[in-house]
Amino acid sequence: MNIDECFQLGYIIKKHGLKGEVNVLLDVDDPQYYQELESVFVEINKKLVPFFIDSLSLKGNKAVVKFEDVDTAELADELIGNSLFLPLAVLPKLSGNQFYFHEIMGYEVIDETQGSIGEVKDVYASPQQDLLAVDFNQKEILVPINDEIILSVSHEEKKVKVSLPEGLLDIYLE
Amino acid sequence: MARSLKKGPYIDFRLDKKVDAMNDSGKKSVIKTWSRRSMISPDFVGHTFAVHNGNKFIPVYVTENMVGHKLGEFAPTRNFRGHVGKKDKGKR
Repeated sequence: MNIDECFQLGYIIKKHGLKGEVNVLLDVDDPQYYQELESVFVEINKKLVPFFIDSLSLKGNKAVVKFEDVDTAELADELIGNSLFLPLAVLPKLSGNQFYFHEIMGYEVIDETQGSIGEVKDVYASPQQDLLAVDFNQKEILVPINDEIILSVSHEEKKVKVSLPEGLLDIYLE
Repeated sequence: MARSLKKGPYIDFRLDKKVDAMNDSGKKSVIKTWSRRSMISPDFVGHTFAVHNGNKFIPVYVTENMVGHKLGEFAPTRNFRGHVGKKDKGKR
C-alpha cells in the first residue's frame, strides 16, 4: 500500500504494560468511529506494514492497542513513535458542505464581493481555531475556518466560496 | 493569582469603544488590535479581530466559546502552526 493512498490515523505514544500493548493517540475528529478497527498500517522505515489488532480499548482520543504477534514489551518498544495509517477509502464519507482539510488543497477561493482571491496553499490546524492559508499575489492570506466565513465547498469545481469580513484583505496588502 | 473580581475583566478601552461603535452601527469589519491581553467579552462574538502576534496580524473570528479567554490565546507567536496532512480532520 502506497502512503499517498492512506491517511494518518495517529501514532504510537508508548508501551503499556509488559504484554506488548501500546498507547496510541488517534489524531482524528471522531475517535469512536475507529473503535471496531481490525487492522492498521504501521509506518516502519518509511514503509507501511500491516498489523492486525487483537484488542483496542478507547479512552478519549487515546487507545490501548494490542497488535497480533506483538507479545512482549521489547517488541512493543520497537513500535514507539511510529505513525498509524489507514487507506483513504476507510475515511467516513462526508455530505453536503463538509470537507476534509486535505481535500481542499489547491482549491480556488472565491469571495462573495471580491471574486477570486487565490488558491488554498495550506491549512493550519490548532486547538484554538483553524486557518486557511490562501496564496494571494504571492502573499499569504489567513482566513479563519468558520461556518460564517466558509460558505460552501464545491468538490466538482474545486472552489471554496467565502464571505471575507470587510477589511481582511487590506490587512495583508498594507 | 487571579484578577480581582472587583475590577472586572480587563479590556483595552479603545478596543471596547471600537466594538461598541460597530455593534451600534451593525457593521462587522475587521478590528486591528495589538491588545493581546484583552479579555473576550460577550459583545465581541461575531466580530473578526486581527490580533498582532509580534510579526503579523492573525485573523480571529470570535465565537461564543471564546468568551472569557484572552485575544492573544488565538494568535500564536511561534512560526509552526502544524501542517494538516491527510487526516480524518475537517469541517463537520
